[in-house]
Amino acid sequence: MRARLPLVIVTLASLGAAFVLLPVVALFVRAPWSRLAGALSGVGASTALRLSIEVSLAATAISVAVGVPLAWVLARGEFPGRSLLRAAVVLPIVLPPVVGGVGLLVALGRSGVVGRWLHDALGIQLTFTTAGAVVATTFVSMPLVVLATEAGLRGLDLRYERAAAAMGGSPWYVFRRVTLPMVAPQLAAGAVLTWARALGEFGATITFAGNLAGRTQTMPLAVFEARQIDPGGAIVLSLILVVVSVSVLVALGGRLTGLR
Amino acid sequence: MRKTVAIATLLVAAGCSGTSRSGSAASSALTVFAASSLTAAFERIGSDFAAANPGITVTFNFGSSTDLASQIQSEGTADVFASASGTAMDAVASDPGVADRTDFATNRLVIVTPPDDPAGISSIADLAKPGVQLVLAAKGVPVGDYARQALTSAGLLSAAMQNVVSNEDDDASVVAKITSGEADAGIVYASDVATAGNTVRSVTIPTAVNVVASYPIAVVAGSPQTEAAMSFLNEVIGVTGQATLKDSGFGPAA
Repeated sequence: MRARLPLVIVTLASLGAAFVLLPVVALFVRAPWSRLAGALSGVGASTALRLSIEVSLAATAISVAVGVPLAWVLARGEFPGRSLLRAAVVLPIVLPPVVGGVGLLVALGRSGVVGRWLHDALGIQLTFTTAGAVVATTFVSMPLVVLATEAGLRGLDLRYERAAAAMGGSPWYVFRRVTLPMVAPQLAAGAVLTWARALGEFGATITFAGNLAGRTQTMPLAVFEARQIDPGGAIVLSLILVVVSVSVLVALGGRLTGLR
Repeated sequence: MRKTVAIATLLVAAGCSGTSRSGSAASSALTVFAASSLTAAFERIGSDFAAANPGITVTFNFGSSTDLASQIQSEGTADVFASASGTAMDAVASDPGVADRTDFATNRLVIVTPPDDPAGISSIADLAKPGVQLVLAAKGVPVGDYARQALTSAGLLSAAMQNVVSNEDDDASVVAKITSGEADAGIVYASDVATAGNTVRSVTIPTAVNVVASYPIAVVAGSPQTEAAMSFLNEVIGVTGQATLKDSGFGPAA
């Protein structure tokens, strides 16, 4: 028999759960079920959903590609300013995304510090493009995979890596064949969180990349625009986003967050 | 622990008093919902009003008129509503209702470009030139609808829509895309140019195709302080209020 949970904890936990669930339930209650199909086509849901999935997957891929090495450097590297670097890497989690968007604008915008050079020398403009939406989304969501992977790396037993190195494995070989497989669960959990955050990204994207259907208008931006014209459509779009996010998190979550 | 609880209680209390509608007789707190294009003008009018009426504190909620209208309908916390469009005011007039509705200002559309004018925009026709990066407010936002109307009157709508790179939530966001130098041109209100000063360059849209937006103001039905609401409304349509609006780029009511 399981021990009974203290009533106080159960009550507070119920409050917490109700607080999170209420807005989602309300979306279902207020959804214009009778004209679902019309609302769906009217607000361009499929275009926005496809773009959202593309942008969030691209952002996740980039985040893993550069975020995992970054986590490794933070966990294993010994250099001055390491804690400062970690704080900087985590910053996008704390910053309002719109601030991130403004930062990206003055850095990578057409007349930004680096963007000016990209634009004038290479003819590359990120603002108002899908690539720009990916950049903004990556900026906001990458810290999650970095943090999760770094925590995983710190928890590893270093003897396996030392043994592999002692037997002649090159650092790159040890990283690929010993370190990465051992940190895989945390890395995967971090990647799922990064993807989930990327799917919901709004502020940095609209500030940096703008809002144009088929190019930069991801689901959250479509919800934002639909509110003006068709509040019912905004609810339908929100529901789709809820259903997609919950399905993926439920399907992967238990297995990948290590809390099975 | 005890300290945390005390702070939390304070925060809750502060939050409650902020949204409370039951102002005491001695001092009343007036909540004015106003279109974001009115921000600069209404903040000045508000401080003039506060100076003349020490018993009344005015709190503004600026936003897109459509958003404000739906907030009034769902929350009902506004005493006065000043809208950038008749449509948004009509919505509030039908639910929960308004009193003393009157038009108090007009606003015209202008084209804005970055000061260095990267795309060479000298007329509304230039907005349809291939490659111009044009930013408008979204459909459903009054200034976005007006901009599309003006482009339609000028016979440029389909060509100009090819150039649209972003549909922004309001006029201020359009201006931000121009001042940051990211877009080549945008269409906003004359009042936005008065606010933005020399961070943007403006190009007039001829009267024949321009859209003149009429701004209605009214006391929202159910306001517990109609008297204070009326005196604020009078401040807006009075001599000082009208002078402030003129300084901010608005025209007189049509």
